[in-house]
Amino acid sequence: MNRPLPSAAGIGLRAPHVAQVIAERPPVPWFEIHSENYFADGGPALAALDRIRADYPLSLHGVGLSLGSTDPLDLAHLAKLARLADRVDPACISEHLSWSSVNGRHFNDLLPLPYTNEALDHVCARVDRVQDYLGRQILVENVSSYFAFPESTMAEGAFVAAVAARTGCKLLVDINNIYVNARNHGIDAEAYLTGIPRAAVAEIHLAGFDTQGPCLIDTHGAPVAPEVWTLYEHALQRFGPVPTLIEWDTDIPEFAVLRREAATAEALLEAVHAVAA
Amino acid sequence: MPSLRELQTRFGTALAEGTDERIAIYRNTVFANYRTALGATYRVVQQLVGVPFFNAAVDAYALAFPSTGGDLNVYGDRFGEFLAAYPHARQLTYLPDVATLEWAVDDANRAADADGSPDEILAALTNIPADEVAAQCFALDPSCRFVTSPFPVLRIWQVHQPTFAGDISVRFETGTDWLLVHREAGAVVIERLTSGDFALLRALHQGDDLATARGAAIAAEATFDLGTTLGQVIANRTLTQLLAG
Repeated sequence: MNRPLPSAAGIGLRAPHVAQVIAERPPVPWFEIHSENYFADGGPALAALDRIRADYPLSLHGVGLSLGSTDPLDLAHLAKLARLADRVDPACISEHLSWSSVNGRHFNDLLPLPYTNEALDHVCARVDRVQDYLGRQILVENVSSYFAFPESTMAEGAFVAAVAARTGCKLLVDINNIYVNARNHGIDAEAYLTGIPRAAVAEIHLAGFDTQGPCLIDTHGAPVAPEVWTLYEHALQRFGPVPTLIEWDTDIPEFAVLRREAATAEALLEAVHAVAA
Repeated sequence: MPSLRELQTRFGTALAEGTDERIAIYRNTVFANYRTALGATYRVVQQLVGVPFFNAAVDAYALAFPSTGGDLNVYGDRFGEFLAAYPHARQLTYLPDVATLEWAVDDANRAADADGSPDEILAALTNIPADEVAAQCFALDPSCRFVTSPFPVLRIWQVHQPTFAGDISVRFETGTDWLLVHREAGAVVIERLTSGDFALLRALHQGDDLATARGAAIAAEATFDLGTTLGQVIANRTLTQLLAG
């Protein structure tokens, strides 16, 4: 049965921790997985996911659909996503506001969009198609970027808000990505959050970044930075309690480290719950 | 104003071969993603050649066989084929076959779950007139993958597993490996077959009928005995169904 994500701190489940989670059933309020890692036709990874799904609400987070690409939408990829969604009945399905392929070549990364009217029309049409295909609302996530197109005619935050307003999709607000972009491109992070429509926000992501010269790189390979925790508190004050995810994808630490990061988020969420009550 | 398509085409070109420092960050991430993805599949190849050589080979693979899909888990499917033509690995003659075996293991892990049972096949077979048995075709467990190599790739694979203990020497004069990779009770196993059993199962896997597959098996191994092998591969669930003719 489909269980909505609780407004609590979940954890991004990665392969090194799956066996431990199945064996110990830790009191984590929900898990998120990368959809593509479960595109298999069968086998042990899917069997493990079934067991996890029996005990926890689950969110599917895609990294490869390439929503913003001008290449044709990959219907085989979308069909696999739909098959997975049928199997695990997830609380939500999310994708990124980015692109990966051009002229048939995939770069398998979350590449930045120019924030133009044409890009907005294109992305909205693709979100509509995906939502129609899946028969449900999806969440779209703002990405971190290291390059800003000089051709952009609107702010990233305005673009993100417009996608939600025009397609009826929900937003997955990645606080770390906003912080990284604020630093990389001189954006005002708090103004960015102020422009996000509160009612559209369905999930928050938190992760760590690395520094490379003048640039912050969104590696998901470090603890959440103090400045990002501060921005998260600001976001909670604006949006109220929202399901929040701790993500860690490179140099993955012991599961206990992720639990501690989630506990920090949980404490901040509870403070907002207390104010809201 | 350039179109979105033009901007993405330009960005793609700059990512592949440009000098923009900001876009180079993406190039680094893209190549790091490929190294990580292939490193997870080709653990033995990586141990055999070392990480720097492996990473250089993956970078060259990414240029020779650019990714065409959004699922990195299946991007490394042609790495064995790539290594067979990779000049820097020319002296490591066994390396492409080790890669092929590792891909088969990975691929078997993602295959559909099997249905059917030995009892069902045996019951179906008893309902077929004796003179029609030779014309039957069979479904195999969907996780079955066939790998053959003139090198002892199974032994090479085994001694590089993290759980392996003992003598790690590999004798190269041991002869051809005929291997069946498949899942058993949820985990992938690699079985060494006789050349006759290998030929039979691979022919059935290709959709050949039993008579044709038996012919292939006898051609590979003169002493091949169909009755013995057929009983075994039904009992051990390699064959899962009798296909409707």
